[in-house]
Amino acid sequence: MLVALLAIAVGATILSGLVTIYYDVPRQMGEQFRNYGANMIFTPSGSDKLSTDAINMAESLIDSKELVGSAPYRYENITVYERPLMAAATDFEGAEKTCPYWRIDGEWPSKNGEALVGKETAETLDLRAGDTVTLVYDLEGQTAAAKPKENTERNQNSLEFRVTGVLDTGGNEEKYIFISIADMESLTGKSDIFDMTELSVSASQEQLSDYAEKISAEVDGLSARLVKRVTQSENTVLSKLQALVLLVTVIVLLLTMICVATTMMAVVTERRREVGLRKALGASNKSIIFEFMGEGLLLGAIGGLLGSFFGFVFAQAVSVNVFNSSIQFHWVLIPITILVSVLVTGISCVLPVRSATDVDPALVLKGE
Amino acid sequence: MSLLEIKNVSKIYGPLKALDGVDLTVENGEWLAIMGPSGSGKSTMMNIIGCMDKPSLGEVILDGADIAKESNKKLTEIRRDKIGLIFQQFHLINYLTALENVMVSQYYHSMPDEKEAMEALSRVGLADRAKHLPSQLSGGEQQRVCIARALINHPEIVLADEPTGNLDEANENIVIDIFKQLHRQGTTLIVVTHDPEVAEVAQRTVVLEHGRLVKEIINENFEE
Amino acid sequence: MFFRMIKGALFRQKSKMILIAVTIALGASLATAMLNIMLDVGDKVNQELKAYGANITVVPKENSVLSELYSLDEKEETAAAHLKEDDLGKIKTIFWGFNIIDFTPFVNTYAKLPNGESVKLTGTWFNHHLALNTGEELDAGIHSLRSWWDVKNGRWIDEQGDSADDNSAMIGVALAEKLGVSTGDKLEVKTSKGSKALNITGVYDAGGDEDEQIFTTLKTAQELSDTTGLIDSIEVSALTTPDNELARKAATKGPGSLSPADYETWYCTAYVSSICYQIQEAIPDSVASPVRQVAESEGTILDKTQLLMILITILSLFGSALGISNLVTASVMERSNEIGLLKAIGARDYRISGIVLTEIIITAVVGGVAGYFMGYGFAQIIGQTVFGSAIEMKPMVIPVVAVLIIIVTLVGSIPAIRMLLRLRPAEVLHGR
Repeated sequence: MLVALLAIAVGATILSGLVTIYYDVPRQMGEQFRNYGANMIFTPSGSDKLSTDAINMAESLIDSKELVGSAPYRYENITVYERPLMAAATDFEGAEKTCPYWRIDGEWPSKNGEALVGKETAETLDLRAGDTVTLVYDLEGQTAAAKPKENTERNQNSLEFRVTGVLDTGGNEEKYIFISIADMESLTGKSDIFDMTELSVSASQEQLSDYAEKISAEVDGLSARLVKRVTQSENTVLSKLQALVLLVTVIVLLLTMICVATTMMAVVTERRREVGLRKALGASNKSIIFEFMGEGLLLGAIGGLLGSFFGFVFAQAVSVNVFNSSIQFHWVLIPITILVSVLVTGISCVLPVRSATDVDPALVLKGE
Repeated sequence: MSLLEIKNVSKIYGPLKALDGVDLTVENGEWLAIMGPSGSGKSTMMNIIGCMDKPSLGEVILDGADIAKESNKKLTEIRRDKIGLIFQQFHLINYLTALENVMVSQYYHSMPDEKEAMEALSRVGLADRAKHLPSQLSGGEQQRVCIARALINHPEIVLADEPTGNLDEANENIVIDIFKQLHRQGTTLIVVTHDPEVAEVAQRTVVLEHGRLVKEIINENFEE
Repeated sequence: MFFRMIKGALFRQKSKMILIAVTIALGASLATAMLNIMLDVGDKVNQELKAYGANITVVPKENSVLSELYSLDEKEETAAAHLKEDDLGKIKTIFWGFNIIDFTPFVNTYAKLPNGESVKLTGTWFNHHLALNTGEELDAGIHSLRSWWDVKNGRWIDEQGDSADDNSAMIGVALAEKLGVSTGDKLEVKTSKGSKALNITGVYDAGGDEDEQIFTTLKTAQELSDTTGLIDSIEVSALTTPDNELARKAATKGPGSLSPADYETWYCTAYVSSICYQIQEAIPDSVASPVRQVAESEGTILDKTQLLMILITILSLFGSALGISNLVTASVMERSNEIGLLKAIGARDYRISGIVLTEIIITAVVGGVAGYFMGYGFAQIIGQTVFGSAIEMKPMVIPVVAVLIIIVTLVGSIPAIRMLLRLRPAEVLHGR
């Protein structure tokens, strides 16, 4: 009996564990895909720049649980040692979330007066983490390259920054110097203007399109667009992964259930003698099947209950190990697991018990 | 020297004394029946004589060696070389033919010899059933296979536990006839039974009750 | 006799043995399928992740430092450095050449449109047919490197077909709307080096900056920018191994900082950094760098997928192991009578175990072999359905599954046999 219970419990564990994982994989994997960075951007729809109000309003239209991170950007031409460069102001906390692939040699800036320098610029200017750099902004909007050198009476603002890290992305970001929004405002004297906002939203492609449409329609002066490269590719890859887990789950479940059934059959076949004895004592076939079924169903129920518990423990372990996050408990899985266990045990009991009841009790008792 | 000497043997299972100071001597070539009601200690007696169990107290000297002091490994060896066992439930291996069941015994003793096994089967009148599986044989035929198996290695003692318990009248007679034949050939026979008819044909009958030998009957009408 | 007994046991109680063999086969097929999928899932997902496009960019050495620093608005011509078009084939000759799935060169220039506006015009390969001197042939180009492009009307430029016409071009949807042009139209472009009338073959939606650009063939762009035989950059899509400590060390401190043994390991592993390094070796005066957005994320997703599959595999291995050993235990326990009898007639313990184990192992081998092929089938079903390609069957799975099955059957049977052997024959034989 212990053998049978163990078999059922193992089968039920696999059932509930895999189904839980199957349900949770899209969500968990979707979060992993956020590593590819922003999948939605806000850009000004008119000629004006974006304002904080518009950005906040747009962000409020997205379910806060799905919003992984957002970072506004503002680009300004500046000079360093008379070299024209591009400075980008952003919210570093947001950027860390929307661009998890940024590789930084050093630290993220944590307070005002600190800057992150792109690798290319860092090489040109020979800057390393810990160095200081002075950014100069021409208040008349003229770049050094355009301005003849002899004009010394320039209307300039300058600020000194400590470089906390060098940014390696393999993309255009390597050319920029990143500073905080507050620093940019004090450097340029202009506030509350942004060129764009990058958002990382954990949602399917269709849902993202819905958001984009809604935001573009409802927020004035702002248009939301999908980063097609990210959303389209995520859609392709994620749907494959989901199909993979689904198929694996189906095959594993199928095989496990057959395994449980064969074990149950072996256990019941072993008790043919008992069936013979009951028949000899005058039990009808019907009552014997009924009794065996009752026993099997009870075993199925206990095994299913144990299995749904251990399955959850397993799924939780997988989730914590693979995705570093806990899994949702699906209460509906308990009755489903128990029902499936009961069905499988029931079916696998019926066959051998039936064939045992067909046998002449005398033959069974004689030891054959 | 006697073939088997049991001296003051007791077997204790917890509070229960299955055997309580039994003394018994069996001579070479003797045909002995052990009788008694259920629970009298017959099976324990059989197990001890058959080297399948050891006494708690006392000595069991078989062919000069004290069974009580031997290791389990040595007991297996003694069982193999000196004892042939016949069971009430036959205990044939159900996936082997009659012939193969006999040969298994040879195999564990020395070398399987198909010809010799076949002869043993014809001696119990089963030459034509040699290729049948136990499930294809009647109860009497199965018991005869069991006897052939017990005899195949020429044991010094043939030990039968209720050999006719599962048989009808006709088969019982066949088995008794085989025993008579064995006795004439000089085999030592110990038959454990509760059937007086089986006991009657033996040379000597001892009766066990509550673990003690209470009576000994010498069969005066015994036909050699 | 030994074999007669085995034969009898195996063939005269077929249904019981088939039940055991079937269970073992199921377990083995599960193990085979899962192990093969687990081992191949990395490669398969890696292929799928190529949808994100190139993970390495190659630019000329001087350019990588000086590029565009002095032309921030990117609209002025610069006398920047170039790579040679002839060197392109060398990318496939590096140590990890086999892992290079696709690559495409770019020539960028700025062209004036009839309305006076300046747009970025890029020359590239679309599905360029390459016959390498290694004998290998492949079609390279942005057709597969821009899998997310949605061609709204018209079609992709087919370099091997009728649109090999040099002046074919594709135009971004935003620019096309602004100019009011569409497929079939001609567009006059002019640069300081010359002018051409481009035939628009398709309008694409890239969902990004490229929507404001024009893509044309490499030759057209070279002629317009007077850079025949030269290219500005290369995008490479390579299958890579997720970075580990070694790869990070090589990437931050340079491969020179590694010990010779580490260097060899690093060089011979398909890390994105070692592939970049090898590309730099192959193409003179080039700098290859990983596109972090793609390379880094690829690594994370691959690691996670593999870990997920490993854990699911462990669960199913555990399940099938328990299923098998459970049934084997049950089937041995059933034979208490037989084992008692063999003991009673004087069989030594080791000979009894020998018989029973041989039977079980023969059954296990038969079941295991059948299971391996079933597992092969399951793996292929999954491979074809999900990835549309066959799962590669790794030979190492065979010994793993074999050892697993043998261990599981032994673990399932030995304790049961020992338990039965410990029983006195008398207990078993008079047991009723």
